[in-house]
Amino acid sequence: MFRNQYDNDASTWSPQGRIFQVEYASEAVKQGSAVVGLRSKDHVVLVAVKRSPNELASYQKKIVRIDDHMGIAMAGLTSDARVLSNYLRTEAMRSKMVYGRPLPVGRAVNMIGDRAQINTLEYGRRPYGVGLLVIGYDDAGPHLLEFNPSGIVSEYYAYSIGARSQSARTNLERNFEQFQDLSLQELVTQGLRALRDTLQQGKQLDTMNTSIGFVGKDTKFTMLDGEATQQYLDLIDEGARHAGGRCDGD
Amino acid sequence: MDAIKIQLPHTVQPRAENANDGAVSRTMQPIVTGTSVVAFKYKDGIMMAADTLASYGSLARFRSEKRLMAVGDNTLVGVSGDLSDFQYMQHVLEDLETRELCMDDDQTLGTKSVYKYISNIMYNRRTKVDPLWNSYVVAGLDHDEKFLGFVDLYGTRYQSPTIATGFGAHLAQPILRKRVEGREDEIEEEEALAILDDCMRVLFYRDARSFNKLRRAKVTAQGVEISEPYSLETNWDFAESIVGYGG
Amino acid sequence: MTSIGTGYDLSVSTYSPDGRIFQVEYAQKAVDNSGTAIGLRVKDGVVLAVEKIKHSRLLVPESNRRIMTAAKHVGIVSAGWMSDTRHLVKRAREESRNYHDTYKRDVPAKILAERMGMYKQVYTLYSAVRPFGVGTIMASYDADGPQLYMVEPSGQYFGYHGCAAGKGKQVAKTEIEKLKLSEMTVREAIKEAARIIYSAHDETKDKLFELELSWVCEESGRKHQRVPKELIEEAIQYAERALDEDDDEMDDDEE
Repeated sequence: MFRNQYDNDASTWSPQGRIFQVEYASEAVKQGSAVVGLRSKDHVVLVAVKRSPNELASYQKKIVRIDDHMGIAMAGLTSDARVLSNYLRTEAMRSKMVYGRPLPVGRAVNMIGDRAQINTLEYGRRPYGVGLLVIGYDDAGPHLLEFNPSGIVSEYYAYSIGARSQSARTNLERNFEQFQDLSLQELVTQGLRALRDTLQQGKQLDTMNTSIGFVGKDTKFTMLDGEATQQYLDLIDEGARHAGGRCDGD
Repeated sequence: MDAIKIQLPHTVQPRAENANDGAVSRTMQPIVTGTSVVAFKYKDGIMMAADTLASYGSLARFRSEKRLMAVGDNTLVGVSGDLSDFQYMQHVLEDLETRELCMDDDQTLGTKSVYKYISNIMYNRRTKVDPLWNSYVVAGLDHDEKFLGFVDLYGTRYQSPTIATGFGAHLAQPILRKRVEGREDEIEEEEALAILDDCMRVLFYRDARSFNKLRRAKVTAQGVEISEPYSLETNWDFAESIVGYGG
Repeated sequence: MTSIGTGYDLSVSTYSPDGRIFQVEYAQKAVDNSGTAIGLRVKDGVVLAVEKIKHSRLLVPESNRRIMTAAKHVGIVSAGWMSDTRHLVKRAREESRNYHDTYKRDVPAKILAERMGMYKQVYTLYSAVRPFGVGTIMASYDADGPQLYMVEPSGQYFGYHGCAAGKGKQVAKTEIEKLKLSEMTVREAIKEAARIIYSAHDETKDKLFELELSWVCEESGRKHQRVPKELIEEAIQYAERALDEDDDEMDDDEE
């Protein structure tokens, strides 16, 4: 491939001031199926498309609950995501035990960001090969944050990571200004539309491969899989006819 | 050959060097102490008062100590008991405040969280049989809700519309029960100040570790306000009629 | 570059024959590729400003902050890798806390700068680690007044009246040198800082950016804080006006 001298480990700078191993780890995120996150003023939603290695196997879990007020969706090496989500759960519990309050979402994501940074600093480690979208609701309202292998954490109105996520981002960039006042149902539908844009030709979103997660004001983190997703899948096309005109039209 | 070891009967263990027979000494009593804290809810928030005396046994040793402190913008903490333990707690709480401030993410540590944090420290120390010899009163507005809580050196905690620590639990609490409870949302600031002064006056008359130089504080939607020291009007005419016990 | 392919530039524990440590220089490259960050020390305080380059319109404004608080009286802004910055700020917080636990007073800026320099230097010594790709600018108000320090990836640090790091550091330095810093107030410095960041910004390379400003001064009670919104807006207007005037002058020259 593109072998060069400076890409063997994460503790070597290239002459241009880059760290190739971190960039390669970010490629691992793009190998995973896409996830989309988006928020309104009261709610924040994750939608993801699950993969199954063959017809006899189950679908790979994409969305995980951290606490009543927080959940994550992953793209990339899911086993790395498990390590990170266990850590997040422990920290969320600690916050409740020590301060009696839910862990503020931004702080939670920065905690795993700081952990990921260590893996880019010392020889003999590899950066995490997973990207996360974290959603949560705290005193400052709903949040959507992205974690990536470099340890950089960013907050978005709407975002997507994973395979062909650029298509979803294009969709979101066109529409995100209207998300602010959407209801939870409309928000999920908008998310599914963006997610649909990431699918390969001939593939479709269905009750088997779609995962939905949301949290918001007076709404605990909730995950929907299987048949429960049908009611939202039904809205994708219907909405395009009615609401689509409003959201897509510039 | 190995030296022959003599097995002593278990009652006669050899004395280890630099150890008091394995015994550990703990804090057995407070040393420099502050007396009562009185606090209660009223219409706009919470009122609290404490005098400025730090006693060394029965000696009125330091006469302008501060026993009320603000933690962040919305929380007020009052303390009775050992004042060096309080100074340690103050340091811990300042640290907490700095950590919160550094986060800079528009989220503030609420009064309930400060209360829980202090309670955890107190309970944790008591499980080590090394308690901080204090009673804490924590007051504030947490998400616009009035909060008033108590925690002592065992980590025991409770919340109540009126709280008085130390001698105040005996002398001020009955007054608070009568004049405050059930009326927490009605009492105007003026009346609240009068109740507070009445409690502190009774304490000054009857508690030999109290002092007529005190501070009062309030937490309202506007934040925490701790007053400069002031004194109460007193009238000792009644002392004439007291007979016996040195009267 | 002569360093490439010689094999002397793969580890931070290797000198080149002419006595250089290339890995440290490469880390400095990461700093030079980042958005411009500046610090201005004036008579009543210190102002920090940074050009936060945004890779997407979807980012929430005023989040993902680049200027951080290390202690009540210490602010840090940096050019370079954001995740390394967080690591160093975490360390600065630990150092400040540690100092406060031991001496019960705020850590003096000079001591914090020295400790941060020492910490960074350790990461230039061993092959098992890489140097931090961060130039750290520290603003503080301590017992000796307003203080400004910058710590390089190598661990070198200096005190400054005004300093700059990142892409636009040459432009920024030239502009800073024109200012009479010791006669200025922070309120004036905010405007100048905004103007400098705007003029250092290269619109052809980075489309979206956000100006972030903080201060530690008499007016903020010697605490490090975000500059109030109204003042930022005022500063941005000033910066945009100044840029327009510059453009007009250039047009005039051409005519």
